[in-house]
Amino acid sequence: MAFGTFALIVMVVGYAGGACLSLLARSQRSARMLTALGAVVGCVGGLAAAVSVFATRVPVEAVLPNLVSAAGGVVIRVDLLGAFFLALVAAVSLPAAIYGTTYMAEYEDRCSMRVFGLMFNAFLLGMSLVPCAANIFTFVLAWELMAVSSYFLVMTESENADTRQAGLWYAAMTHLGLVLLLPMFFLMAGGSEATSFADLRTGAATLTAGTRNVVFLLALAAFGSKAGIVPLHVWLPRAHPAAPSHVSALMSGVMIKLGIYGLVRVMFDLMPSGPAWWGGLLLAVGSVSALLGVLYALVEHDLKRLLAYHSVENIGIILIGLGAGSILHGVGLRALATIGFAGALFHTLNHACFKGLLFLGAGSVVQQTHTRNMEEMGGLIKRMPHTALCFLVGSVAIAALPPLNGFASEWLIFQSLLAGTYISRPEIAVGFPIAVGMLALTSGLAAACFVKAFGISFLAMPRSDHAAHARECHWSMRAMMMVLAGSCVVLGLAAPLVIRGMNPIIDSVPGLSAGEPLPRSPQLWLMVPNGSAQVSPLLMAVLLGAIALAVLLAIHAGGLRVRRADTWGCGRISQTPRMEYTASAFAEPLRRVFAEVYQPTQDLSISVHPESRYFIQSITYTSHVVPWFEKAFYDPVTGGARALATQIRRLQAGSLHLYLLYVVAALVAALAFAWWSK
Amino acid sequence: MLLFSKIWKTGIATEMLQAGDPAAIEIGRALERRIKRLFGRALAIREVDAGSCNGCELEITGLTSPVYDMERFGMHFVASPRHADMLLVTGPVTRNMEIPLRRTYEAVPAPKFVVAVGDCAKTCGVFKDSYAVVGPVDRVIPVDISIGGCPPEPTDILRGILQGLDRFSQKRETTALTLEPVAAVR
Repeated sequence: MAFGTFALIVMVVGYAGGACLSLLARSQRSARMLTALGAVVGCVGGLAAAVSVFATRVPVEAVLPNLVSAAGGVVIRVDLLGAFFLALVAAVSLPAAIYGTTYMAEYEDRCSMRVFGLMFNAFLLGMSLVPCAANIFTFVLAWELMAVSSYFLVMTESENADTRQAGLWYAAMTHLGLVLLLPMFFLMAGGSEATSFADLRTGAATLTAGTRNVVFLLALAAFGSKAGIVPLHVWLPRAHPAAPSHVSALMSGVMIKLGIYGLVRVMFDLMPSGPAWWGGLLLAVGSVSALLGVLYALVEHDLKRLLAYHSVENIGIILIGLGAGSILHGVGLRALATIGFAGALFHTLNHACFKGLLFLGAGSVVQQTHTRNMEEMGGLIKRMPHTALCFLVGSVAIAALPPLNGFASEWLIFQSLLAGTYISRPEIAVGFPIAVGMLALTSGLAAACFVKAFGISFLAMPRSDHAAHARECHWSMRAMMMVLAGSCVVLGLAAPLVIRGMNPIIDSVPGLSAGEPLPRSPQLWLMVPNGSAQVSPLLMAVLLGAIALAVLLAIHAGGLRVRRADTWGCGRISQTPRMEYTASAFAEPLRRVFAEVYQPTQDLSISVHPESRYFIQSITYTSHVVPWFEKAFYDPVTGGARALATQIRRLQAGSLHLYLLYVVAALVAALAFAWWSK
Repeated sequence: MLLFSKIWKTGIATEMLQAGDPAAIEIGRALERRIKRLFGRALAIREVDAGSCNGCELEITGLTSPVYDMERFGMHFVASPRHADMLLVTGPVTRNMEIPLRRTYEAVPAPKFVVAVGDCAKTCGVFKDSYAVVGPVDRVIPVDISIGGCPPEPTDILRGILQGLDRFSQKRETTALTLEPVAAVR
């Protein structure tokens, strides 16, 4: 048996074993341990399978034709693109699973660890199988396993009304995706019996242009609802905060990436070389998602909701890369297009690392402060220094500051957009600069948002008793955060090598491939193939380190002395945490600038003394930002569904006579149909 | 539309700048040279109202007006004592402002340069022996130079700062060697 197949079997057995063993565990504690054990074995198997595919460049295949043979059986084929996503799933699941072992301890008296263990391992199995699937049945099976099990994971704290609401939204949106996914596959099959991806690939060439367009739109909506593109992102800010933090890390870091995987698989592998407007639509959807995602993150003060909105933003950035690459590919600038594709895939990997890290960090903070509201945190850097350092690394990475990994991938995506200047067509001459502007604004706002997230949560004085009594979390949780933080640094510094390693993946997919050997870029430099721009994260890091060192030396050598004194508080006698800068205050200037987008509601009520209105007893000010497009898009839909359900409910009146009438009517209709069709 | 009709109706609301006090310009030029030599950059001033009637503030505001325009001589007001080279204190020190003034003084990086502006800051003026007043500024923090007048004119203030800078240059040479330790006030 080949090593790759063996590793895949280890993966499946690990996850399935973890699911079954934790269900049979004797105590809650042993259930937690067995959950992690199964997950770790599964992740190692998944990583090994991916590595073997990368090393040998030969896809790992496994076919079980007798398993549900009517639907074509279970067909597994891990090619390079699949291996990339399989590695991504396994690499983030491994630390998250180990982190969860300790993190879930506080849930022990609230929910069953056995059921959680079953669902957690089923979730990991589903996510790992999605990139391995090679026919429609296997893909949909894995996709649904992932969706259903993650629904139960979101509902871990189902005694909470908000969680139930979030679960409902999540279930509705994820099944909307499935409802669109099935017709997409049927249209691609084009009435033939083809179910395997290889057949679909050959069959797609014969489809009419109209069918291909419909398939593309269905794929964008179906996979977009999983990835969280605007306006299908509504479940992210609801479901991510509700789930336990390491599950949020997996959902946000990995699961939504499988939406990207599906899109890449259908758009670039099964139906390559689509018309130019496909890329344009990706670019537009990506730009809007990125900008709206970061804008809503900016006014969000729930730490996990903020991170969820940032996932919307980063999915947008990935789509910008794919869109720009696809347009460049379409006009024949194939070498340049690989910059966009490589940037998008690299950003997928990077986002998995830093978003996983940030959610794990947020989990540690929430566990200690018992709140997700940033306004009740503060001063945590003194109490949780390691968590703070890890969260800072994640923040710098997601804000795309050099030399960390977020910078490298966003730089590539920027370069792919700037390459639009080589195309002399009016719509591109207008569209690309707008996209550049939106991406630049997004990056800037993301940096501002993480200044807020880190500054308000970790710096200054604690704003609540819980924050004042926070302690550093368990060492295993810290160790897992450090692993992810380390991977952010390494992926940033070694970005040119990672991009080189990605070239075979891009070459293996027909819609992404340059079709010609790319010029080998130097080891230390990220480079645009035509040599118009290059940057070296490693040298940048060395330079930044040298500057920091020079400043430190200058301070020491210059005889400057450090004076320790209170924070300047305008000379007031006592300073309390109530006087600190708040997250709302930090976001207020930007909230005013973008008031047209936010449409905030404000309510100011002043109660005065009954004797004189010059003596004010209390002032209450409340302000909310309710995303208006959620109202505009979803209120009519939910209202319509409700109204329809009320109408349909009349059918079930509870009267036996009526039901007998239905039976007779159905019988008569069936007979009439039989007579007519004879 | 309202904006345009308003512009049309209002006409030009500014007037030509009259030539300022030539003495002030001369002092300003001297200050500019001195500041450049001492600091190599602009002089950052933090103003503290320790209980003034705001007469002195009116004159100090005059320093930033187009007539005196002290920024052209390399002097500017800053929003925090942490950024300041010099404190400009007005008024008799009231009981409420005693601790804030002391804290402000502590927040200024050494060498600290304090100018007391107006008769009140110098001697408490008409507020002398009031129950609400602690005393003149030098009862609370060390003062380098006091500028008399009720209120002193902008030219007087500029002249006072110029004289004070002479003492400051001597002070800087001594304090650079012996930086006094500062205990944080709790």
